[in-house]
Amino acid sequence: MPSDPRYLPVVRGAIGPLAAAVGWDESDCRAIALALDEALANIIRHAYHNRADGLIELECRESADGLEITLLDTGDAPDRTKICARAIACDRPGGRGTHIIKDVMDTVSYQATPAGNRFVATKRLRKMV
Amino acid sequence: MRISIRDVGEAKIVEIEGDVDLGTSPDLRRALFETLLDAPKLALNLAAIRYIDSSGIATLLEALQDSQRRNKQFVLFGLSPAVQQVFHLTHVVRIFRVFQTEEEALGSA
Repeated sequence: MPSDPRYLPVVRGAIGPLAAAVGWDESDCRAIALALDEALANIIRHAYHNRADGLIELECRESADGLEITLLDTGDAPDRTKICARAIACDRPGGRGTHIIKDVMDTVSYQATPAGNRFVATKRLRKMV
Repeated sequence: MRISIRDVGEAKIVEIEGDVDLGTSPDLRRALFETLLDAPKLALNLAAIRYIDSSGIATLLEALQDSQRRNKQFVLFGLSPAVQQVFHLTHVVRIFRVFQTEEEALGSA
């Protein structure tokens, strides 16, 4: 997808039904869509500095125990000191997106690769027994 | 996202419909800041929001801070389950004054 916020609703519209097909309920589907949206917004803002002409490769696939989301961009590498969690129980406006991603997803990783910045997040489906 | 504004007494009711995200939150920010200039109280109706992300939450926090600087009231009402979920995820539930209905929001001091 282009690094243009106009495409964010398109992705949100696709990931929700995919998460539902894997087996999550409506609330979890909304949370997963939000986490993916926040990850894409971070790339648009911080890797491409709000330029709309960058490209983001997006892969969402059902794994053996849930869902794996991979994003690849060729913008600026993320600043690891800014990715780290910080306290958000205050009225500062910014910095909540990364917390949402970490709260919703089970694992989150960032890696610089020859192909670009690689973001991988997974979420396990906890089956009722 | 669609924004409409109406007067109820001295207060302004701002109603938002649709998605608030990275692409649309600048328009919401502009509308809230301009409306806060014109009225002593702004009540924001969130009932018709389908989606809000952290940039939308940041916009609401900025509007709240602007209202406090101007000694004006900024209250929210009509939070849908989807919006409530994001409020909980972003830990802002207790920061805002939130009401169920427009009448309650307007009646608050």
